[in-house]
Amino acid sequence: MPGVRRRARGPEEEGSMAAGAECADGDCPRQHVFLIPEYLKDASKKMKNGLMFIKLVNPCSGEGAIYLFNMCLKQLFEIKVFKEKHHSWFINESVQSGGLLHFATPMDPLFLLLHYLIKAGKEGKYQPLDQVVMDEVFPNCILLLKLPELEKLLRHVTEEKEIDNKKYYKYSKEKTLKWLEKKVSQTVAALKANHVNVGVRVQSAAFFSSDQISSDKEEDFIRYAHGLISDYIPKELSDDLSKYLKLPETSAPMPNPPSKRLKMSDEPVEAKEDYTKFNTKDLKTEKKNCKMTAAQKALAKVDKTGMKSIDAFFGVKNKKKFEKI
Amino acid sequence: MESGDESAMEKQRVHVRPATLHDSSPATLHLLPCEVLANRFAPVGRFFTPAIRQGADGLHVSFRGRSLRGEEVSVPPGLTGYVMVTEKREGLIGKQDFRGSENNGEEAQEPLERGFDQFIGATGSFSCFTVWGLETVPGPEAKVWGALTWPTLAAAVCGPPAVHSRGDSCCRFTHRCPRTENQRASS
Repeated sequence: MPGVRRRARGPEEEGSMAAGAECADGDCPRQHVFLIPEYLKDASKKMKNGLMFIKLVNPCSGEGAIYLFNMCLKQLFEIKVFKEKHHSWFINESVQSGGLLHFATPMDPLFLLLHYLIKAGKEGKYQPLDQVVMDEVFPNCILLLKLPELEKLLRHVTEEKEIDNKKYYKYSKEKTLKWLEKKVSQTVAALKANHVNVGVRVQSAAFFSSDQISSDKEEDFIRYAHGLISDYIPKELSDDLSKYLKLPETSAPMPNPPSKRLKMSDEPVEAKEDYTKFNTKDLKTEKKNCKMTAAQKALAKVDKTGMKSIDAFFGVKNKKKFEKI
Repeated sequence: MESGDESAMEKQRVHVRPATLHDSSPATLHLLPCEVLANRFAPVGRFFTPAIRQGADGLHVSFRGRSLRGEEVSVPPGLTGYVMVTEKREGLIGKQDFRGSENNGEEAQEPLERGFDQFIGATGSFSCFTVWGLETVPGPEAKVWGALTWPTLAAAVCGPPAVHSRGDSCCRFTHRCPRTENQRASS
């Protein structure tokens, strides 16, 4: 049977009721827990519509991902999902499985445009933007063309030509790498400002001379930042950026490359894991074991599969989920 | 659910009802350290909330015979928490924008809302929630803390250029509640 029977709810009721109130003694529609920039609330007073969730390409994987798009502010927001096994929400007088927490954070649309520019760049021609940003799979990508100051943004990653007042663009790898380098140093600064522990090497560096410590550390920060940014660019460009940043190739891969950890949709944000010294599996279990109480241990044995991705949010895919319940 | 095929999903837009963002009533949220495989009514206010005790070392509650320990978590500054629910298709009748029926990719004239789009609205808002751990306070090592630092970092990693960014949602890093800071300092 597809889906659980849900209570219909007229639009006139919306907003006036607390979550969960409508499911007096039965199943509730799925409730999504979101953290969204505060200013969208103020903006929403003025707008009749224009705030929407859309599916666009994930510039790293090429697969679909959900974004929040604001037509009024002309802004793009990335959606990341925090998901930890064995968690659920109590929301007012209801229970919501999964315990997912969605984050909407502003995102530079250039990462998405870059995906299309690189594709089009393979032809080596100058092309108008509306011919570049076309996607049969994710037709909503045309909304990106409505974002402000695209011309200014595009200068970071393209060569441009103007013929008869019309702009034509061509992907430039050199410019893109320069732009990404700026992003890396911006990220390094943020990592430092937030005292993010960037890896095991930081600790081991303590055994070396002081000079070594500072230089080692810097490289770790850059590598970490590179990993984070690699989540927003294709693999090939990520490799090029690594060379451009003169990051030495590691003989043994880092225990947890950040790029592997901060994945869209199926993976939780798991930022903490990355940033602490407990980011290797061994350390984690070790820590768990010595801290766990009997009840925790007993529960640790029960290993249920994780929750669905944010795709479930778009309705279609959560069919199966509801069947199981 | 209603729309059967995958391709419709890629095209679809899920419009947020803007009014719900400022009309939604405060919601009380608890993040539980266990799976409850149900999405339904639960008498939280009758059995769970009244059992919460404020101890010197944080919150205590008993849930299904297990002892839980909790702490309050504030939503990072610049962000607001919302509980959102997708509207049932039936709810759309009368709201459908029929201009959208001839949707043939002509973006210049295409309305934002099309007949096959969905709507979502906030049913509750929150500025803090309670995180529960089994027998121990989740504490500063809890993964959710890490996740809450993401908005700060995201601004640098993938945020729009600084001159264009609006609001100040991503420039601060002071959302940890005092209790957790203390725990961190003492550990």
